[in-house]
Parts: sequence; structure tokens; C-alpha cells
Amino acid sequence: MAEFSTSIKDAGGVNVVYLKGYLDAHTAPVLENTFSNLIEKSKYSIVVNFKDLSYISSAGLGVFMAFIEKIRDNSGDIKLSSMSDKVFNIFDLLGFPLLYEIYKSEEEAVNKFSETKKLEN
Amino acid sequence: MPKLNFLKINGVELKSNLKFQLFLGITSVLFLFRIFISSQNSIVSELINEILITLTFISLFLYLLDLIHSKPIDPFALVINIGILNAIMFFLLTFSKSIFGLWYDQAETQISNPGILYNLISFVYSFIILVSLAIILLAFRELYYYRQKKNVSTYFNTMVVFFFLASFSGLLKNLPDLSYIKDTFFIISVLLIIINSIRISWIAFIVKKEKISLLILSVIISILFVVNLANGSSSNDHAQVIFEFSPALNQFFKILMTYGAIYFSILFFTTLFHIPTAEAFDRKAQEVNFLQYFSKLITESLDFKDLADTVTEIAIKVCNANAAWIAWKEGEEFKSLANKNIGYYDSENLTKFIFENNLEKTSGFSFIINLKKYTRHPELSEEFFFLAAAPLKAHNEIKGYLFAAKKNDISFDDEDKNAIDTFSDYASVAIENSILLEESIEKERLEKELDVAREIQRKILPAKNPKHDKINISSVFIPAFEVGGDYYDFFEINENKFGFIIADVSGKGISAAFIMAEIKGIFESLSKTIERPKDILIKANEILERTLDRKNFVSAAYGLIDIQKEILYISRAGHCPVVLIRNNIIENLRPSGIGLGLNFGPQFVNSLDEVEIKLEDDDIIVLYTDGITEAKNKNMEDFGDKHFEKILIENSSFSADEISNRVIKEVTLFSQNNSQHDDITLVILKWKQKKLKNVNLGEVPSLDGMELKNG
Repeated sequence: MAEFSTSIKDAGGVNVVYLKGYLDAHTAPVLENTFSNLIEKSKYSIVVNFKDLSYISSAGLGVFMAFIEKIRDNSGDIKLSSMSDKVFNIFDLLGFPLLYEIYKSEEEAVNKFSETKKLEN
Repeated sequence: MPKLNFLKINGVELKSNLKFQLFLGITSVLFLFRIFISSQNSIVSELINEILITLTFISLFLYLLDLIHSKPIDPFALVINIGILNAIMFFLLTFSKSIFGLWYDQAETQISNPGILYNLISFVYSFIILVSLAIILLAFRELYYYRQKKNVSTYFNTMVVFFFLASFSGLLKNLPDLSYIKDTFFIISVLLIIINSIRISWIAFIVKKEKISLLILSVIISILFVVNLANGSSSNDHAQVIFEFSPALNQFFKILMTYGAIYFSILFFTTLFHIPTAEAFDRKAQEVNFLQYFSKLITESLDFKDLADTVTEIAIKVCNANAAWIAWKEGEEFKSLANKNIGYYDSENLTKFIFENNLEKTSGFSFIINLKKYTRHPELSEEFFFLAAAPLKAHNEIKGYLFAAKKNDISFDDEDKNAIDTFSDYASVAIENSILLEESIEKERLEKELDVAREIQRKILPAKNPKHDKINISSVFIPAFEVGGDYYDFFEINENKFGFIIADVSGKGISAAFIMAEIKGIFESLSKTIERPKDILIKANEILERTLDRKNFVSAAYGLIDIQKEILYISRAGHCPVVLIRNNIIENLRPSGIGLGLNFGPQFVNSLDEVEIKLEDDDIIVLYTDGITEAKNKNMEDFGDKHFEKILIENSSFSADEISNRVIKEVTLFSQNNSQHDDITLVILKWKQKKLKNVNLGEVPSLDGMELKNG
């Protein structure tokens, strides 16, 4: 059975979620829980780091779709970062780059949040 | 066979009735004999008298034996019965003087001329004594046999035989020279009584409270026996009446009173010695009972909640606690379950306190915590001083802890600890069983569900490929165990228009299968009214907005071939590229487009592109799902795009069927040591196939080629 886990780091108000392992129909509920918990605590600025993710299936992609609306309604966002080529290709095929901001590095993604905030201020 | 049963029941009743009738009959004969004949003082009449009395006694005894065995025997009740009968006899004996004083003016003188009234009263009096003695003997017999493990009937029967011998030797009243016989039998009887009385085995099995009552009762009853014995032995009115009624009965009375006095004296001391260990014995017995009850429950109750409730209920009793609960692991936290005598708030706080301070023993054994060492949590509604906890394990993993708490100052002792240990082991087995059962039910349910999903998918996909003059069509579909949600279809719209679709629904199982069915419906109807792939996909996305869950989406590619114009139109909504092979060169047709259901705004429409390709003879169009490119070998490596393209090029000169055969063969070989995770779909269309290379040299052109020529 393929394993999957998440961990969260607080980077100055932005929550970075690290994914590790195989994200498929069986492990998708783990990520769903992670997002639910963040939303429960009104944490809407989320960066997902894909560095250690080996595989993502369509059910895994569905998790992002399930939460994005709620998060954006609360003027937050999910930004994606550090994808391997293989994972990026899956996102790219489906047209995710048109729907999500995808960055090469986590830092870049986190900074984007503070930039938007500055702009708002 | 109800009739036979009925007869049988009747038979038993008859037998019991018969004994009662026999007893009544003999009693009546005895009665008549006593009233009218007994005044003749002959040996013969005395013998008849004794025989009749003995028969009455035996028939009564047998009848009572049946009666007492129809209910379960309670030794304590038997003792109380003996006591009551004794008390009655005590009063009879005490008042016998005032009753019979009328006839006996002097204690020593024998009655010389009894009237009918005397005979009547003496009969009734003696008869009461006789019945009482029968019941007492029966009670002693039952007490003797109760909880007796070995077959010891010989001892008791021998004793009874000697009772009778000693009683009948009472007939030798007129022969003082032979009185040693009477004494001998009496002494032997007493010896046997002592031997048999020592075998009291039932004391141990009654609870402490009853033992204490028994202690007091046995003193009173043994005193009553002694007093009755003394009263009966002295030549008072009672002794004379009974003696006159039957010398044997008089002797039997004395023997039985002796038996009682000895039995209850021994009972007193036995009970006395049992008292100190009574509590421990009670506890052990209770523990055994609980465990028995619980092991029965394990096999009967399959509901986890019921089981948890029983576990905490019994836990309180086995280790003398005030409260108990189960801390069940859910994720990283412990949740309280099946609380007994403690609020959920309190129990969760206590559990949290213990695990946050790492007070639990890591080795997976039970432990005791003295809460007095810590300051009390201000929000706890009740104060507990001691906690005992034992791990509950399933699949060798600690799933939770069984907690017992005490409010008083006395800590759990080793006994309690052992009890909770043993008990938690049992509980673990029970809980593991119930979890396993739940899992297997769930597994079965899922398998049933998957069967349904596979059935839906099988019916949705085209049963066979359409035959077309200008397009050589091949399709392969290999379902994954869990139903991946792949869908493909062909639409022969009219003579000039040929549509096709490939789609992959996100997720797996029955939910994917239902979306698939919906997708089929949408595209089948849209293909009839809308021509261009891009417009169809836009419309399909609009329809899906109403029904699709936010986390579900569908990747799709729709294509249309205009046969007359020889033009291929392709639009792609998030699906794998459509492969075009022309002159051994691969081209990935990848017009931009977001997956269906990912976005319902203008972004979807704006992103969607359509490519238009002028077809040339022998062009190959390949549609596939990621089940092919993401097929994995045992090292979890992907089959990959490049590998796929290479096989396509190498085999591009073959027919569509042959190409797909070779691709599938390669994919199967590649992933043979790994299970198939996703559906595999491969659709190959070959346009105006003309120059068909032979599959094997020397073979006639294949069937596909023939058909094409004919067309």
C-alpha cells in the first residue's frame, strides 16, 4: 500500500503544506483533512509544496478543486510549488496552470502572498 | 411428534401422582389400623404397625424427592427449612405435656386404656413428627449431595441403612438383654454421621453475606437439635406418645436429632473457618463468572459499542473501582468511550493529562497512577485519587486504554491490577474480533459495490467497434480492479460525419461509474445536435456544472472526422494528447483546454482550442488514457510517453488491431509484476488504410485489407 503524509509549516502567516508519497483515491482523505483543519482555523493562505510527492492521481487533484472555492471566497489562495516535471505534466495536461498559480520554489509562492497583501494595503 | 411428547409428559405426571396416591393409601391404612386395631398388644400387630409406618415414611420420602428435584437446589433454603421444622418440633415437644397430660397423669405410667380421641390426637401428633423427619432427612440428603464432585452415594446409603437398623432395634424394648444391639447400631450410626458431616463441600460456594447468616443459623439450629434430642430422650409425654406410636420412629427421631446436632455443629466450625477467606473467594468466583460471561459475549455480541459498554461495566467490578472508561485512539488523540460513573469531560481531561505528561508505561502493560501527587485539574467535577489503566491491543497495536478510577484513599492492589490485566486481554480479543468483522463486512460491501461499478462500465462502453469503409477502428479496454472511470465511444452521426470521444472520470469505483454514465448520456445527445468538438465540450461543461461535485472532474478529448473533406477536428479538455502518426512521425495534438468540471467560468471557454488536420491516407489517430503511460513496473517506474511513442512508430505499418495488440502486449509485459492501478483504454483509428504490410511474410493480406478493398 502506497503511503502518503502531509506536514504543515507556518511561514509568517502563510501555511506551507508538504506532501509526501503517493496521493491517490485511497490517500486523498488525508489531504482533505489537512485542508479542512486549516479552513477550520481560518487559515486561507496556503502554499502546497510538491517536492516529495511521487505520484498524484485524478482523485488527488480533485482535493484541490474541493477546497479552492471556499478559500478564494475568503480572499485566500492555494498556490502550488516545487513540482517535479512528472507531477507538473499531470497538472499541465488538465489545465491547472490556468486555474492555479504554480511556482518553481516554495519561497516564491510564499512571497507572492505577502506581495498581494502589500498591494492591498 | 407432539403426540408422543404429550404422552411422555403425562407419564411423568402419572408417576409422580402415583407416588402421592401410594403415600395417601398407605397413610389411610395406617390411620385405620391405628384407630381400630392397634390396641391389641401382640407382636404381630406391632410388626404390622412398624411396617406400615416405614412404608408411609418411604413413600412420603420418595414423593418429596420428586418434588424437590423439580426445582434447582439452594443449600441456604434447605438450611432454613431444617431450622423451621426444628422450631416447629421444638414447640410441639414443649407443648406435648399440656396436650397429652390429660391421658398421662404420671410421666412414668404407660397409657392403659386409650380412647378413640387419644388415638386420633396421637396419630396426628406422630404423623406431624414423621413428616418433619422425612423432610429433614431429605434436606440432609440434598445438602450432602449438593456440589459433591465424587460419587459418594455409598457413604450416605450405608448411613441410612444403619439409621433403619438402629431404629428397628428400638423394637427390642421388651428384651433388655439385647439392648447392646440397639446401642451398637446407634453408635455406628453416630460414627457414620460424623464421617458424612465432615464432607461439607458447599460452604465454599456461597457468598460472604450468606456465610455470615449461616454462621448464626447453624448455632441456633444445632442448639434446637440438641434441645429436641434432650426433650425426646427424657421420658416426657412426647417420648411416651411417640414410643407408644412406634418405638422405631422414636429411635429414628433421636438419631436424626443427633445427626442434626452433629451436622450443624460441624457446619458452624466449617463456616467459621471459611469466613476469613470468604471475600477473596467471592472475588475470584465473581471474576471467573465475569470472564465466563464475557467470553460468551465475545461470541455473541458483534457490536463494538455494546462490547465497550460491557467492558467498562465489568472493569469496575473486577477491580473494585468507582468509575471506568475506554480511551480509544482516533488519529493522534484519545476519545472517551463507554464511560461509567464519570462524565466525558472529566475522562477526556484525565486521559489527556496522562498522555501529555507521558505517565503511561510504554511497554504495553497495565499501570497505576497516584493522582494525589498532582494538583487537581480545576475543571474536574469529581476528584479521583487513583487510576489503573491497561492497554487494549488489536493486531499487536495499542488501540486504546481501559481506565478504572477510584475515589477513595485506598490504592489499587496487586489483585486489582491482575484482574484488570486479565480482563483487558479478554477485552482486546473481543475488540479485535469486532473490528475484524466490521472490516470484512466493509470489504464485502466494497466488493459488491465494485461489481456494480464494473457492470455499469461494461454496459456503457461500446459492445463492438463500428465497421467503417474508410476508417479502420480498433479499441482495447482493460478495467482496473477498482474501476478507473475510463470511457470511450464512437458516434456515426451521418454518412459524412464520424465522431469519437475518450474520457477519464476522476476518482474510482461506483461514483466514477455513475459520472461515466452521465458523460455518455451528455455526449451521445450533444453529438447529434452539435458538430464541432469545441462547441460540444463547452456545452458538456455547462451541463456538468449542475451535477458534478466540486472535487470531481472529467478529462476528455472529442474528435470529429469529416469524411468528404477528409478533415479531422480535435478538441481536448484536460485529456492526454491525441497522437497522430503520419509517415512514421509522431505528432502530439495538444490543443489547450481545461478538464471538464474544473472551471465553469469564461476561463474554460477561453482556454479551449480546436485543431484541424487535413487527413492523409494511412494516418493513424491514437487516443489513450493515462492508464497506459502511467502503468507501473515493480520498481514503480512509469511505462512513459516515450516508450509508448516508440512502440507506435515501430508498428505503424500494421492494421489498427495489430498496433493495439502490440502496445497492450508491451504494457502488460512491462507491468506484469505490479497490479494494474487504473483502467487502460486504447483506441486506434487508421484513415484510408491502403498499403497494408503483411503481418507475417507469405501470408495473404489480412481481413482488414480485404474489407477495405471490397469497400
